[in-house]
Amino acid sequence: MKATMRAEPAFNIYYLSESAVTIEFGKEIGEGTLQRINNFNRALLEDPFPGFRTSVPAYVTLSVFFDPLQVIASKELTGADCYEKVKLFLEKLQKNPVHVTTSKADALTIPVCYGDGFGPDLEEVAKVNKLTTQEVIDLHSNAVYKVYMIGFVPGFAYLGGMDGRIATPRKATPRKAVPAGGVGIAGEQTGIYPLETPGGWQIIGQTPLKMFDAGRAQSALLKAGDNVVFKPITKQEFDALSNG
Amino acid sequence: MLYRMDSMRIKIIKPGVLSTIQDMGRHLYLEQAVPVSGAMDTLSARMANMALGNDDTAAVIEFTYAGAQFEAETDLLIAWSGNGAVLAANDKKIAADRPVFIPKGTIVNLNSKPDGSHTYLAVASGWNVPEVLGSRSTYIPAAIGGLQGRALLAGDVLDARANIHPLTKNILKNLKGLDISYPTWSLHREHLLPADKRLIRVMPAHEFTWFDGPSLIGFLSEPYTLSLQSNRMGYHLEGVVINRLVKDELLSTAVAPGTIQVTGNGKMILLMADCQTTGGYPRIAQVAVVDMPLCGQLKPGDTIRFEEISRHEAEMLYIEREKKLSTLKNAVGHKFL
Repeated sequence: MKATMRAEPAFNIYYLSESAVTIEFGKEIGEGTLQRINNFNRALLEDPFPGFRTSVPAYVTLSVFFDPLQVIASKELTGADCYEKVKLFLEKLQKNPVHVTTSKADALTIPVCYGDGFGPDLEEVAKVNKLTTQEVIDLHSNAVYKVYMIGFVPGFAYLGGMDGRIATPRKATPRKAVPAGGVGIAGEQTGIYPLETPGGWQIIGQTPLKMFDAGRAQSALLKAGDNVVFKPITKQEFDALSNG
Repeated sequence: MLYRMDSMRIKIIKPGVLSTIQDMGRHLYLEQAVPVSGAMDTLSARMANMALGNDDTAAVIEFTYAGAQFEAETDLLIAWSGNGAVLAANDKKIAADRPVFIPKGTIVNLNSKPDGSHTYLAVASGWNVPEVLGSRSTYIPAAIGGLQGRALLAGDVLDARANIHPLTKNILKNLKGLDISYPTWSLHREHLLPADKRLIRVMPAHEFTWFDGPSLIGFLSEPYTLSLQSNRMGYHLEGVVINRLVKDELLSTAVAPGTIQVTGNGKMILLMADCQTTGGYPRIAQVAVVDMPLCGQLKPGDTIRFEEISRHEAEMLYIEREKKLSTLKNAVGHKFL
């Protein structure tokens, strides 16, 4: 009888450019993959290699950016070229036992003023899903969301965990300008626009928080792995928080 | 006698189509989805800085095409490089890729030159704008970097940083006079570039095999034309349609300047300096970083072809280019120190 192979969790490295490689941790979105990516990323950030610049977590990948000149000059890294040197380093790091402190992070609360001039598409989302606008607000603000990645524009968080009952297709014609703080739905996803940009998401509300501010120590309010909840606020509270 | 060093200053009279402050880009905040930005043609930007003894990372002005005009509000030590325009003063061309002394009061024009799109203007020690997230590059969508996060406007005054490199001081001492003056030598930017500037070398990207054979053959042999939808974020390419073999959906993942994505209708987008940090379109290829300066000089209507090289070759070409640049940098030093 053949020895049963224990399925190794995926860890495939491919090159992205001369100054970046991508590690694939699997094929499907899930909290397990997210956790593995975050754990590995934490280990990498604690013990980066010479020339390391930054790492970008995404749904099932972690991309590692570096300065090729520093990598090639490094005596500490072994391999025929930059790609090999970085690849071997990452594979070795993967084999090390990772000390993970799985303290359940508290969810960050994002105050949102739903509808009421702040969410021009709230009624459409309700209509498409045969719900009242209050039911849409309740479903949207009762879930705990997970930040899977930051992408698209500075500080834009891709959130997982939205209730399928409020899923709504994108707008047929994108808006020329969605205001900064706009909270939207696109298919099964929800997210917050950090900057005023054109966009096709259904906008159901707006947060007075600055999701991205280059002048702040942590420019983007959210990062991959964070837990997020939305809290409905009134127009008065929105105004007070905007001025605060 | 001590050399008196006033802060050099220019005033923008006409900003041209799009003029922004750029440097070598913002590389450390990709995980917050802050794009790299930086010069579209990093090689020309570096040449301009190198001619002055500046650091590679000194801020330069990136002009798009011709039409801009500025006034020297003080004596200036500048250098320009690139293919978007030709600098001229009093109807006389100012030579490129070398240090140039320009006396106070001179009006400098960017006259048209048909072969490229971007021109870089460096000043002794670099343009003085605040660093935002580790770079002075302008990224307009988030209004960060450069001059107030925006393109230059008529009336804007830009000054140079005060801390001048000893080499730069020597260059200035050598060239200073009553008229525009520059040395007869120049940095040979051409020697660093391939002869065929419309042949772009690429390495196959991770989803290369997601496309069918005829499409891949077409990609590597047929010409592609930059559409009018081309800007600092990316170029839309028109040509043989790229068909999918594998219809899987790609989960959004990191992309980089030089990534060539294929959209749902089989069109290709070549990502450039201001591109998003992540994308969900499958990627057919990644432009070799040594050929990104060529891409940075393209304009709508230009036709290019792609040639496949290996990842290892691309890396070796990059390291070789950097060695040549460092030799060139030393040569400038030897001329003036």
